[in-house]
Amino acid sequence: MENISFYVDDKEVIIDVDPSTRLLDVLRIKLHITGVKEGCGEGACGACSVIVDGVCYDSCLTPVANVIGKHITTIEGFRNTPQYRIIADAFADFGASQCGFCTPGMILNTYTLLKKNPHPTEEEVRVALSGNLCRCTGYNAIVKAVLDIAENGGDIEW
Amino acid sequence: MVKHYIPSTLKEALEVLDKHDCYIMAGGTDLMVVKHQRSGLIPNFDKDVCYISNLEELQYIFEDEKGVHIGAGTKFSDIEENELVPEILKQIIHELASPNIRNMATMAGNIANASPAGDSIVGLYLLDAELELVNINGSRMMPIKDFIFGVRKIHREKNELIKEIFIPHHDDLNTYWRKVGSRAAESISKITFAGGYEVENGKVKDLRMAFGSVSITCVRDRKTEEKYIGMSVEELHNHVEDIIKDMGKFVTPITDQRSTKEYRYKVAMNILKDFILTIE
Ligand SMILES: Cc1cc2nc3c(=O)[nH]c(=O)nc-3n(C[C@@H](O)[C@@H](O)[C@H](O)COP(=O)(O)OP(=O)(O)OC[C@H]3O[C@@H](n4cnc5c(N)ncnc54)[C@H](O)[C@@H]3O)c2cc1C
Ligand code: FES
Ligand code: FES
Repeated sequence: MENISFYVDDKEVIIDVDPSTRLLDVLRIKLHITGVKEGCGEGACGACSVIVDGVCYDSCLTPVANVIGKHITTIEGFRNTPQYRIIADAFADFGASQCGFCTPGMILNTYTLLKKNPHPTEEEVRVALSGNLCRCTGYNAIVKAVLDIAENGGDIEW
Repeated sequence: MVKHYIPSTLKEALEVLDKHDCYIMAGGTDLMVVKHQRSGLIPNFDKDVCYISNLEELQYIFEDEKGVHIGAGTKFSDIEENELVPEILKQIIHELASPNIRNMATMAGNIANASPAGDSIVGLYLLDAELELVNINGSRMMPIKDFIFGVRKIHREKNELIKEIFIPHHDDLNTYWRKVGSRAAESISKITFAGGYEVENGKVKDLRMAFGSVSITCVRDRKTEEKYIGMSVEELHNHVEDIIKDMGKFVTPITDQRSTKEYRYKVAMNILKDFILTIE
């Protein structure tokens, strides 16, 4: 066990854990942030996505030692931002969320995409979301929602 | 009880490795999959672990007159975006795993994992990349083709880590990349092929061919390549069946859950043919 500290949704966290513990387990079990989902547990579905210092990671493959001192944003922190509102509204308008299991990961990856590239092409959207699996929507609704934000999202600062 | 070491400098890391037989944890995208047990349980490490992902000293890309130097801790996404990096490596990385994994994983980890399906390895063989291995006493350089000698088998001493990947300049080499997988993203390769050529005054000045996933290690053979260097482009095209025969000797794929050996062989040879015929 080791004292490990980092920031989650702007709050400093110091916990005593085995450094190889998956970040996903720390978030869900120790910190009760269950908005972060576990799908495959092996890096193949993106349900466990979180933002680490500005880019998305699969938290199921991240040993907590790798995020020491870093800033993590989960869907539960992100949902309090105006950027979240825009993405969530577009997802609702286009029917881009059905069971919702993939949605936290989809939303965070949409955000990191738009932050880097506010006007992506359809191809760029598909590439950016290629690590996020969805068993319900067939993807087209999600891609349309993201493209709609890119076109009609106004002047928001991503 | 296994111990976990989280060094804050490269020197500290090398001291740890000198005293303890450790797993080196970089991005974790291979190690965490292999050692995972069940949600809620800590991964099942049977030896100590040394975490190097946060060592800033290992995160750099620069060039000098000889080539490009990539620090072992540099993540794939940073390599892909760097203008000094050869185009073929960018292409390879763009199709490797998924965006999230590219944000976490390192090329050094891809090399050290020494999977026959390690995509970056094929590009690095093509470009004659070398690795800098360091321990507390110093460092040595080793060509990647000598470093990997089998499935998950590498010439690393227990107290060493890969510090850097060095790619000699190849400004005039035209390159070609094909990856055959089950789908566009996140698929482990069934076959990969990296090709390179230079043509000057209608003559083949350099020719390079490297296959991944078709044998225990990446396949490249300089002797075979040299046989065809010096030919005119037309002669080269006329020899395409001979090239297929020559390279075919090294292409010894297996049947596994991803594909059959017959499929792999046939597709590999079709790709090789396409590469040769695109040379002009
Ligand atoms: C869903 C999924 C899809 C994938 N798709 C692909 C794909 O399409 N193509 C592909 O090639 N790979 C793919 N991979 C594997 C790829 O992510 C890894 O090979 C990655 O590059 C390993 O880097 P890492 O930093 O995560 O290494 P780690 O998992 O941390 O380490 C891997 C190995 O390298 C050793 N190591 C790491 N750094 C060093 C160093 N500096 N010196 C010495 N040893 C070191 C470790 O000890 C370990 O043995 C995929 C993985 C997943 C989970
Ligand atoms: S749970 Fe992490 S990628 Fe599927
Ligand atoms: S909405 Fe059900 S998995 Fe995407």
